[in-house]
Amino acid sequence: MARCQQGTMESLCQGLLDLDDDKFGAMCSAFGYLQEWPDLTAMCGASLAAPGGVAPPVTGDGNESSSCSGSGGGGFRKRRPDAYLDAKGDGNDTSKRPKGKQQQPCGLGEIAAPGKGKQEKPKGGTKKKAEAASTAAGEKTDYIHVRARRGQATDSHSLAERVRRERISERMRYLQELVPGCSKVTGKAGMLDEIINYVQSLQKQVEFLSMKIAVSNPVVSFDIVEDLFGRQLKQACSPGALPAMALPGGQLEPSCLQMSPMQQVHPSAAACSNGFGLDMVVSNMYQPAGASCPVSAATPVTAAAGPSIEPCLNVNGAAAAWDIGSQNLFSGFDAQFQSVESDCLLDNLKMEM
Amino acid sequence: MSSRRSRASVSEEEINELISRLQTLLPNARRRGGSQASTTKLLKETCSYIKSLHREVDDLSDRLSDLMSTMDHNSPGAEIIRSLLR
Repeated sequence: MARCQQGTMESLCQGLLDLDDDKFGAMCSAFGYLQEWPDLTAMCGASLAAPGGVAPPVTGDGNESSSCSGSGGGGFRKRRPDAYLDAKGDGNDTSKRPKGKQQQPCGLGEIAAPGKGKQEKPKGGTKKKAEAASTAAGEKTDYIHVRARRGQATDSHSLAERVRRERISERMRYLQELVPGCSKVTGKAGMLDEIINYVQSLQKQVEFLSMKIAVSNPVVSFDIVEDLFGRQLKQACSPGALPAMALPGGQLEPSCLQMSPMQQVHPSAAACSNGFGLDMVVSNMYQPAGASCPVSAATPVTAAAGPSIEPCLNVNGAAAAWDIGSQNLFSGFDAQFQSVESDCLLDNLKMEM
Repeated sequence: MSSRRSRASVSEEEINELISRLQTLLPNARRRGGSQASTTKLLKETCSYIKSLHREVDDLSDRLSDLMSTMDHNSPGAEIIRSLLR
């Protein structure tokens, strides 16, 4: 089947090469026109396909031949049966199709290549419309029309790979729009690097902002603090992260980065509690919570704060600075708790639980 | 040709490494636990993650500015905090 197809293609190509330039131009413009008006294309295709009495997939080929006959002349009328044959061949075995298709531009040479490219597009479109229930393989063959033109490999693996790469580069382009400064970088590696940096900086920014809010209004945004600690707890305790913690260097980096906002904040947290005129209890952070809060509220506070902080400190071993930072922070909380009615606080905490 | 291929494979390795680094940054990937997802899916997730981070940052900045404005009235130490937080 493929052989026969090839033969007809060769003859067809010969016909096309005989074209003089203005005819070719007219043909190209006709293709462009047909591409712009799909309705017209469908119409022409339908009218031309009718005498042949062949099923919908042919409409694509039908309009192809219509455009040829409109511009070319006598020699091109031959094309119609050829096209039908081609369509039938495609219907029978789709795997052979790319090879048959690929022969065309090679035979046509340089002149015919752009025209050919235009030809294939509307054809693929109408074909897709006609075959509503096309399989995945069918969709792939639609890709081939455009993709496998220049003597590329046409086996299913390379095609799938090409489709995959296409999708990836599409995503990369999209990411390029999202990440500022990414459009200047060339190459995938540079772009990925830039994306990673950007994501990290955004993560840092989010954590830093949450800490700022937590420090400036502890009661309202207590959930943020807990969320933050909870996230770090999750990260610290997840089985994947534990070996990473044991390793020094690169893999430790994300967790360090996540902590840095906390460390940046802690002097201001200290200053904050100073500003409120608090006496800070440095010895043990859980004692003041019990001592200064109403008894009813004391247990929820420790329950909420205890499990989330302790493991972080243990795992990270970033001991001293952290300890002081969180102590100051929480003594700040205590001051606020005292000023707020206890039932409101309890509601807050219940929501947390 | 062979030199080109080797260069391509080097950059391929580099890209793979970068991809896995990116994967560790994503919250979903961490949950999945090391299984290598497809690059397409990963990049898609990165897109949505960056968008969600943008939203979060905007939301948090709004909340912070709200807090700052309300704090002016009810606390005396507000300027100190603001100057320190800036």
